Amino acid sequence: MIPVLAIARNTVREAVRERIALVAVAFGAALVAASQVLSPLALGVGPKLVTDFGLAGSSMLATLLAITLGSTLLHKELERKTVYAIMAKPIRRAEFLLGKFGGLWATSAGLLLVMSVMVMALVGIGYRQAPWAVAGSVILTLIELGIVTALVVFFSSFTTPGLTAFFAAASVLAGHFADDALYFGKQGGSWVLQAATTAIYWLLPHLTVFNARGLVSHGDAVPPERILFAASYGLLYLGALLIAACAIWDRRELR
Amino acid sequence: MRLWVALAAAVALGTAAAWVDASCRPPRAGELDELLYYPSGAFVRQAALGYETAAADVAWLRAVQYYGEHRLTDQKFDRIDHVMRIVGELDPRFEEPFVFGSFVLAQEMKQPDRGLALIRYGLDKNPGSWRLAFETGFLHYVCRHDYQAAARYFLLAARCPGHPEYADRFAAFASQKAGDTQMSILLWKRVMATGNKYMRDVARREIERLGGTL
Repeated sequence: MIPVLAIARNTVREAVRERIALVAVAFGAALVAASQVLSPLALGVGPKLVTDFGLAGSSMLATLLAITLGSTLLHKELERKTVYAIMAKPIRRAEFLLGKFGGLWATSAGLLLVMSVMVMALVGIGYRQAPWAVAGSVILTLIELGIVTALVVFFSSFTTPGLTAFFAAASVLAGHFADDALYFGKQGGSWVLQAATTAIYWLLPHLTVFNARGLVSHGDAVPPERILFAASYGLLYLGALLIAACAIWDRRELR
Repeated sequence: MRLWVALAAAVALGTAAAWVDASCRPPRAGELDELLYYPSGAFVRQAALGYETAAADVAWLRAVQYYGEHRLTDQKFDRIDHVMRIVGELDPRFEEPFVFGSFVLAQEMKQPDRGLALIRYGLDKNPGSWRLAFETGFLHYVCRHDYQAAARYFLLAARCPGHPEYADRFAAFASQKAGDTQMSILLWKRVMATGNKYMRDVARREIERLGGTL
């Protein structure tokens, strides 16, 4: 466990060196500007607007950050040959990969939390409304971010940075259409099509499970059982991805 | 290349790009045509990729802008129900577009049936909403003068959870004081108290027309 934590800590340090704090600063400035400019135009729905834009923006930025930082995560280590120095120590390849995953998830989750606190502060202080309902949606987005990070780590275990970013972004996109794929497959009639779409459905991450933004933007809290279900599904799915990634990374020839 | 030369070149090219955009951009299609191509239908939610509520807010801001522009010019809001339905598709629990869109159609465009169709569409999506039920009753009362239907919807509003005290009052008054001007004034005063700035303008005008005091 200790090597995993050490690699995770190092990964966070590396990401911080990439000046990701600038993303949070830009987000905060954009959020305050949007609330000042757009709220008067929204005819009384300013708090909803700030909550929606804030949650959507923070989720999008954290996802983008996980994909862009993560796509070069292993490649950089291989290119700089630092991976050989690490592998020479009593660290298993799987531990190295899990450390990278943990560090990347912690980085993007940290950024998401900072941005979410900004949204809650603006709603609470600027509009004098209780911002606590937002927390449920943030928890679900944190788990979604875990899946995105696991996808990035999975693809980067066997392909190039460019393709990792492409496959991860495509999987996130497709993850929002998983239910539709199943629905349209059932409408088709042919059993081959139905079997194929069912397989695709179970293979894709069901990212709609983690979307409670529509609920909290109307002031409703996310029910605890929904959070529990999403956490169970999310942790199992990302666990499966990480096991597959470790198996591939373990057999990869490092040159 | 020296840094200042590079910076000057970047600023010059950026300024030139802004000038080309400001002076040579081809004229846009009219607002009506533009909103005609707004996406709609069952797939609009999927197209938002999990960010439906933020997309609904963008569509709402666009709708308000559309209303504001036409209010200052030709007073025609032909596409308002189209764009408000899109907002409703994206975020069905967002009640404001149904309330405001139906108000504009019924009161300003004098097309109460279109207004009622829009608000009933919202009510179908939110059957437990006292606000949408109340606003449907309001439109029946002041625009179609259908007092029986108004009473029915006020009663529906009074049965919905979280309804304000005035929903009960109007439910009781609607059948007793059918067609009463004072009742209309009271309803418009409620719009003055709860509506947005455009709705308040119309309410002020209507109260004055009916001889009420603000």
